[in-house]
Amino acid sequence: MDFKLGEKEEALRKGIREFAQKELPSECFCLLLEEESRDEDWKLAMSISKKLAQKGWLVMAWPKEYGGQGASYWEQMVYGEECGYWGIPGVAMGVSGVAWVGPSLMQFGNEEQRKKHLPLIASGEADGVWCTAYSEPNAGSDFASIQTRAVRDGDEYVINGQKVWTSCAHRARWCWLAVKTDPGAPKKHRGISIFMVDMKSPGITVNPLLNYYGAHIFNEVFFDNVRVPASNLVGEENKGWYHLMQSLASERHSLGPPLYGNARRLLDELVGYAKETQYDGKPLSQNLGVRHMLADAAVEAEMLKLFNYQVTWELTQGLIPIYGSSRNKAFGDQLLERIGIIGMRIMGTYCQVDPYSKWTKLHGIIQRVYLLSPGISIAAGTDEIEKNVIGQFKLGLPKSY
Amino acid sequence: MDFKLSEDQEMLRSLARDFLTKECPKAKVRELETDEKGYDPQMWQKMAELGWLGLVFPENYGGTGGTFLDLVLLMEEIGKNILPSPFFSTTVCALPILEYGNEWQKAKFLPQIANGTAIWALAVIETLGGYKASEIKASARVRDGHYIIEGTKLFVPNANVANHLLVAARTSEDAEGIAMFIVDANSAGVEVEIIPTIAQDKQCQVTFNRVEVPEGNVLGDVGEGWDIVEFILDRAAILKCAEVSGGCQAVVEMTNAYAKDRVQFDKPIGSFQAIQHRLVDMFVNAEGLQYLVYQAAWRISTGFPSRLHTSLVKAKAGEVYQRTCLDAIKIHGATGFTKEHDVGLYFRRVKASEFAMGDSDLWEERVAAELGL
Repeated sequence: MDFKLGEKEEALRKGIREFAQKELPSECFCLLLEEESRDEDWKLAMSISKKLAQKGWLVMAWPKEYGGQGASYWEQMVYGEECGYWGIPGVAMGVSGVAWVGPSLMQFGNEEQRKKHLPLIASGEADGVWCTAYSEPNAGSDFASIQTRAVRDGDEYVINGQKVWTSCAHRARWCWLAVKTDPGAPKKHRGISIFMVDMKSPGITVNPLLNYYGAHIFNEVFFDNVRVPASNLVGEENKGWYHLMQSLASERHSLGPPLYGNARRLLDELVGYAKETQYDGKPLSQNLGVRHMLADAAVEAEMLKLFNYQVTWELTQGLIPIYGSSRNKAFGDQLLERIGIIGMRIMGTYCQVDPYSKWTKLHGIIQRVYLLSPGISIAAGTDEIEKNVIGQFKLGLPKSY
Repeated sequence: MDFKLSEDQEMLRSLARDFLTKECPKAKVRELETDEKGYDPQMWQKMAELGWLGLVFPENYGGTGGTFLDLVLLMEEIGKNILPSPFFSTTVCALPILEYGNEWQKAKFLPQIANGTAIWALAVIETLGGYKASEIKASARVRDGHYIIEGTKLFVPNANVANHLLVAARTSEDAEGIAMFIVDANSAGVEVEIIPTIAQDKQCQVTFNRVEVPEGNVLGDVGEGWDIVEFILDRAAILKCAEVSGGCQAVVEMTNAYAKDRVQFDKPIGSFQAIQHRLVDMFVNAEGLQYLVYQAAWRISTGFPSRLHTSLVKAKAGEVYQRTCLDAIKIHGATGFTKEHDVGLYFRRVKASEFAMGDSDLWEERVAAELGL
């Protein structure tokens, strides 16, 4: 049993800290999904993507032949933690490109597809930005019920249908799209395929789905007779579900470390805030309620840290985390929500203020976490789905739905 | 980074599990709860023979030179099984003797512990119930070359069978004018009364009525007493958390088994999402606790103990145990509410575990201080 990281990882951590302190505006702290909304945030994100690419960090986990560093799982984890701590935008290439489109192409794409797309993602360029279109109005957690249809026509497929909650569709050049290629399959999930779709294709319409505070993260995407070369099919036709199970594991496991980094940063900011803020004649840091809430959240953050270590360690042993990624995502989402709630309470009356106004405290990060955390928790696997995975695959309980 | 135990550690764990399953099944646990002594002397001897009592002592004091992490693994198994015995109370006194004792004290007291002939108990808490130097009123005055101890201690575990007590008493009115005294429990003036507890775990009130203690029985320096108490807390808290972690795992396991077995509405109840999700939460929190315990133990074992990491675990462990047991009882339905069902054995130990070696408030306050608040 050993909980120490290596010198290489600690050096990387230091390097990222220096990068963040140098390249980011001092008040910048970008949460997952946030950078796509405001134009100025997106511009900053893309500029940081390029700088991360120049540093060799953007796709560090990828093999060298595809523009990566072949970085170890530990380095990836530390990178994730630090990007979360500093709120570095531009890390994801559209919430898809780095974490799972690239890895999926490496896992089950073909060489032509890899040669075309991986360098674009690795370079941090606009053409390497992806959105992922899975959910539909009638198919969220029940993903196998998707209805967007792709029909073969010569050396093309014709796609019709509608996707919803597609984050980054308004910024992306490419779409990682899940469709039904065999609606008659005896089991629903056996008729699913994955396509790469150029968002500039005729027939694609993107409509914003603003959130309750006006943030533009999600979209509906309509496909109206969109023609896609057959060579854009990724992996085998009708085997998409199985391919995706692999992708989803990559996606979820990559979320844990940044969530931990976010949590630690928020706690540090709240500790600082509590020490500087007077209330009733003494600093808030002396308030027992404040001490209790922050101490409790610190324990949970430490649990998340160790959960991330544990999954990462499993990966280094060549094991496939069966439930750990789900656990880490759900736990991390819950932690972020708790810290948002605690932070709002500590800020007192000012918590109701617009995060970008002159009245806001702590650059509005607490209100932003509070408003964003339900969306983060729902995306990429709700709490309920994650718990179902743990219940079924770790506890061995029967399927509960 | 390594989430695996070594082969030796796995062996220690599985031997412990086998021993406890055989020697201390739940029927025995129940028997010992109402037994006058509260432990089984024959079992105690076997534990000594297994090397448990001197696990972390150097070999020249009768021990096996094990690490703190080894001890933590043992405590985890003890917590899983439940073991009414003075193992914890004796161990928490052995650790400061190892750390602060002079050669005479170590040579005299440690081998007796290792071979099972000595049982120890820590006497610090007084009326207010906490671990605060200012709460210590028990006094130790020098007279004719020895100390006279006066006062009353509460929640001294297993004092009814201990032959030695490690007592915190005040030698001066300075805030930290406290020394630790090794007291022969059979001394004139020592009165022990068992406090009936929910866990039936032989917590005692010990009254010291002009008890004479030789000067050589001061552990460490006079005036170093509170440092020694702090040291004990920093080590023993993790041992207690390991026990709690084991208890949580046992409760999760029995509840998961029940959820697979119990059929209602033509299905195992574990297939109902409300039950399944509650179990998942129980499992994840127990797992998180276990990792926190291992991390803190590893730090102590490798020579860089961390007040922060120890505090994080102990601040939370009681709450996790409580929630695990409450949810487990609910999942079991009325059968979990009975005397016969094992889940109650764990539930009744939640509060004793939480308050041993400093309660959640104390440790949470330490977390806050470590965070810089």
